[in-house]
Amino acid sequence: MTQLLDVRGLGVSYRMGRTWLRALREFTLQVDAGQIVGIVGESGSGKSTAALALMHYLSANGRIDGGDLRFLGEDMLAMDAADLRRLWARHIKLVPQNAGAALNPSIKVGRQVAEALKAAEGIADERADQQVIESFRDVNLVDPAQVAKRYPHELSGGMQQRVAIAMALMCQPDLLILDEPTTGLDVTTEAVILDLLRALISGRGAGVLYITHNLGVVAQLCQRVVVLYAGEIMEEAPVAQLFASPRHPYTLGLLSSLPKAGQRKARSRLQTIHGNPPDLRSVGAGCVYADRCPLTIEICRRQKPPLEEVEPGRLARCFRWADVEFPAARLAPIHEAAQAEAGVAGQMVMQTSQLARHFSVPRDLVDMLRGRSPKPIRAVDGVNLRLRHGQTLGLVGESGSGKTTLARIVIGLEARSGGKLELFGADIPGDLRSRQQDLLSQVQMVFQNPQNSLNPYRSVRQTLCRPLVKLRGLSAKAAEHQAMQLLEAVNLRADYADRYPDELSGGEKQRVAIARAFASQPSLVICDEPVSALDVSVQSAVLNLLADLQDEHGSACLFISHNLSVVGYLADVIAVMYLGQIVEVASVDALFRAPSHPYTEALLAAIPAPDPSQHSERILLSDDLPSAQDLPSGCRFHTRCPRNIGEICGRDEPPWRETGSGQGIRCHIPLDELAVLQAGAP
Amino acid sequence: MHVTPAQSLSSSISRNLAGIGRALRALFSGPQSALGTALVAFFFILALFGGQLAPYPKANDQSHDARVSPTLDIGSLQLGAHPFGTDRLGRDVYSRVILGASSIFRIAGLGTLISVVLGSALGMTMGYRGGWLDELLGRVIDALLAIPALLLALVMVGIIRNLDFEINSWQAALADEVTLLVIAILYIPVVARVARSAALDIKTREFVAAAEIRGESSAYIVFREILPSAIPALVVEASLRFSYAIFLVASLGFLGFGSPPPSPDWGLMVNENRGGFYRLTPWALEFPALAIALLVIGVNLMSDGIRRAVQKGGA
Amino acid sequence: MILFLRRRFVFFFFTYLLSSLMIFFLLRVLPGDPARVIAGGREATAEQVEQIRSELRLDAPLPQQYLSWLGDFARGDWGTSIAFRGADNRALISERSINSGRLALVALLLSVPLSLALGVIAGLSENKLPDVIISLLTLSVVSLPEFVTGLFLINIVALGWSGNPLAEALGWWFPASSAVPANASFGEMLPALWLPAFAATLVMLAYISRLTRAGVIEELKRDYVRTAALKGIAWRTVVLRHVLRNALLPTITVIAISISWLVSGLVVIEFVFGFPGLGSLLIAAIERRDLPLVQAIVMVTVSVILLANLLADWAYAALNPRIKLG
Repeated sequence: MTQLLDVRGLGVSYRMGRTWLRALREFTLQVDAGQIVGIVGESGSGKSTAALALMHYLSANGRIDGGDLRFLGEDMLAMDAADLRRLWARHIKLVPQNAGAALNPSIKVGRQVAEALKAAEGIADERADQQVIESFRDVNLVDPAQVAKRYPHELSGGMQQRVAIAMALMCQPDLLILDEPTTGLDVTTEAVILDLLRALISGRGAGVLYITHNLGVVAQLCQRVVVLYAGEIMEEAPVAQLFASPRHPYTLGLLSSLPKAGQRKARSRLQTIHGNPPDLRSVGAGCVYADRCPLTIEICRRQKPPLEEVEPGRLARCFRWADVEFPAARLAPIHEAAQAEAGVAGQMVMQTSQLARHFSVPRDLVDMLRGRSPKPIRAVDGVNLRLRHGQTLGLVGESGSGKTTLARIVIGLEARSGGKLELFGADIPGDLRSRQQDLLSQVQMVFQNPQNSLNPYRSVRQTLCRPLVKLRGLSAKAAEHQAMQLLEAVNLRADYADRYPDELSGGEKQRVAIARAFASQPSLVICDEPVSALDVSVQSAVLNLLADLQDEHGSACLFISHNLSVVGYLADVIAVMYLGQIVEVASVDALFRAPSHPYTEALLAAIPAPDPSQHSERILLSDDLPSAQDLPSGCRFHTRCPRNIGEICGRDEPPWRETGSGQGIRCHIPLDELAVLQAGAP
Repeated sequence: MHVTPAQSLSSSISRNLAGIGRALRALFSGPQSALGTALVAFFFILALFGGQLAPYPKANDQSHDARVSPTLDIGSLQLGAHPFGTDRLGRDVYSRVILGASSIFRIAGLGTLISVVLGSALGMTMGYRGGWLDELLGRVIDALLAIPALLLALVMVGIIRNLDFEINSWQAALADEVTLLVIAILYIPVVARVARSAALDIKTREFVAAAEIRGESSAYIVFREILPSAIPALVVEASLRFSYAIFLVASLGFLGFGSPPPSPDWGLMVNENRGGFYRLTPWALEFPALAIALLVIGVNLMSDGIRRAVQKGGA
Repeated sequence: MILFLRRRFVFFFFTYLLSSLMIFFLLRVLPGDPARVIAGGREATAEQVEQIRSELRLDAPLPQQYLSWLGDFARGDWGTSIAFRGADNRALISERSINSGRLALVALLLSVPLSLALGVIAGLSENKLPDVIISLLTLSVVSLPEFVTGLFLINIVALGWSGNPLAEALGWWFPASSAVPANASFGEMLPALWLPAFAATLVMLAYISRLTRAGVIEELKRDYVRTAALKGIAWRTVVLRHVLRNALLPTITVIAISISWLVSGLVVIEFVFGFPGLGSLLIAAIERRDLPLVQAIVMVTVSVILLANLLADWAYAALNPRIKLG
């Protein structure tokens, strides 16, 4: 087998003001033709730096520190600009992250792709156009000739990514580098793109480097994996072995901090990695992972461990690789009682009936004079949900399904345009300003983006004291005392009180935000994607914290996420939302055991399992989400539904069917028939 | 230690001050902005202590020989009797240039300050509250901005100066400060627009939503939550406004719409000595023109430096 | 697209009405009696004031005054000048507008290509020598007040050049004053236009080139530039085909906005050079307290500025594929 890429000891730095940030150090990797190698890492691990450095493409403030980079034996670091251009044009292709930004907004996509082809092969315009359309067909773009004439912004995210893939693949590269090609896409779209990639890659004989933060994707797609942390390779192994028996504590930590299928907060806590990734400006002499590693011994801090072969074909950068072992009992039972309690019907905390939010599209003067108004956007459209004391209701759905709008209506940040909202048994006005102080303190929220959820000009102390004074009426002194207790409750040291948000990591900011939300001792906490912006290694600790605080305060929780495995871990009941409607409500166990609504079924199937031995049969959804301004007739899901039974789906609104056990779905197919269909699924 | 609102405000100020300190250091790190800041500081000192520094501190002192050539000798750094010469009326140009600094700084500085304070408050409130009032005010601001600032200033100054007010009435007092007021009025909408767009951006951040669900008042949210994050943008705008204000004051003075004749207004001095008089006493035009040029260049370089420093420093 | 054009037009219409309202009321709401101002302030006799009041219908209620004024303006009946002894305001303004238009045209033809080129060069060489030189130039020399550069041009360039033997040989010199007859033809006027046009060019240069530079720098940082470079095409092609296409699009709007800048600049420049344009007419009108003439001039100026903005918006929309449905 030909060796395509041979990298040894490569280092890359970026200038940050007056210092150089060593983003990638001693990077060593070989890629053979026909091989799919994955590089996994969290944000800041240097994986995107690696993707570009391997093409010898550096931004203006970057430099190569040393090492050796060869493509088919040729020294890439010694190449001049023209040679490099030739290499980029024909041999090495990059599929970038966020295809929407990577395409020129003012050139038709067909022409952009043709430009790449012409650079590679120097062929005539007409034939290039023909080949572009051909390549668009290869990536399953519907009506490729039309797509070629469109501008990037006229395509959906999934379509943009297909165009980017077509652009890279049509030049028949020897080496294909994919830099997070599905990040930012919905899980259903991601599944389709991954499937497409798998089909396109196999049989071409090209080498592939797949860069991602998602362990599930790696498990499903790659043959060999490199684990990157803080700019260094921690471990490299064939995929099956890496997932079965990691040889580096970091890999082990990553794998065990993911919520497993069937893992529930009531039965076990998530494994966590404590601490934060190191600051690359001050990397010391020792192992970069030493500060967070449970196995750290004295030598780890003094000396950098070498990347050594620990088994044939496996490398690890750890002095104690022999001691790394998966814990035998992964699901340690705790909280048996809590689980039983959650099932018991408690007091009703939140109840909505036919809750709706229709945004009217702004009219201009001419329309006003003609008395016309454009169709409203129906972001939330007739939602009925119940949440009882102490319960956690998980709300899942793709982006654009209306989850966040629903949450904002409940908390009062968004006015509703119809329906009823009851909190603690009383009718609640839509307007936040007409809510009583007492009610405000009862309902609090944790927001999605830790970057923005704390005021950058307030210290942690000020952030925590304010709700205590404002909502609980404490004196300044008492608030001060309470704030310190809150800080302790979210596992932050007391000296964090005087820090400002820019001195905190993402996970720490989110802890402070959680402490702020729980400061008023609320009975209902709304969490809007609280961990989606966090890396896997800090995510699990935040989830544990949420579960603990909720348990301690006995608060109910409305937990919104696009990530079904996170919701599965934390929630008691899950509601699935699609285009402003709830399509299914079920207890977690019921939902994972037998998903009933075809949409839920597709969502579950789309999750790439972080386990190479587990291959879920994918149910691929066609097309992208329809617009909330122009909803499909009949069942809203019928345009994409794999179990569409014909005319009735496109004509009639499906009924809400309930089983005795509290499960309900919105579908024309009766529940028992669905169960049969799904059991017999190929 | 417990925290009173005053303490929390002072700490947010000190945090901003720390930012400003960083920005100041950044200002002097680049040669261009350091030069600009030094020039502005130089003229600011003249403005403050002009009365003490000028050899002939009376603005309309015509007691000297007329049309004396400059005695300044750059080689030996000797000032001589009349460093910049005297004009055709026998006034010492050097003294008049020094005395002129104070009016341009006072008018441009105070005008900018008033417009920044009022414009920020207006714009932030508009941006945060939104609704029909914001819509209406936004349109009014757009309409005002369609009229070039200099034209508006000329018209307003020209009209007000021709009104007859009773001596010592408040209107008369206001009419004396017409240029200052016109600058403030002209720039309020400009600053308001910047403050409004900053508020629109900041109010989408989640800490504002967190304050709303705590039941905070609008005033609290605008001034305590949103304002601190808007200060960098406002500082940049203020420095930009100041440089335009200097420009405008000089231009108005030159066109004859600034301070009335005997006053040592630089623009006016340039205007009084152009045309045929230029042949007689070129220095009487050149030195005030040079002062204007240096001040404008200085202010421009400094405000560009402030913009860079703030953008680089982030918060 | 159509929707966008329509919306911009509605916006234009609103702004225009509002500005007219402001121009009208600005001169009425200011403390004092407009009739007395026009009549000559303190020295005017009661009869003079009364006469002007009835001539200009100043005793009607304000809203009615506004409507009749706006109606007259729209019909083209701009009244007769007080300051210029009964000359027809419209004829006066249109003659001067043409002159100012010629000056503005020459200035635009000089400044737009020059400032775009400077901006692109500076943007492509961010923080390198050409950029530092250009930005120092635009920040300092070019941002001087127009009267300073204007006087420099008159006293140093025009007067210095005139005695020069080379100028004698070429037979071409710059007139130190641009006080040509107001009804001169373009050809007759051209020699007198160069210096004021150059002064006006400097006004625009700083503004347009700095925004162009910022646009180029911003576009260079975008992901699509990397995509294009990694296609293996030459850097020159990347810049010409990808970067400039996106970076220069917003300059349409920038140029339109800088028209407002130019108008202010022209007032001063015409005054300095004694050029018979709209700006020098405005200053004369203000000095002679001819309020109707002042109002008409400001209305014409605002019309030009708003129209330029509207056309720029439309052109931008037509050239920018991202605005389709608006």
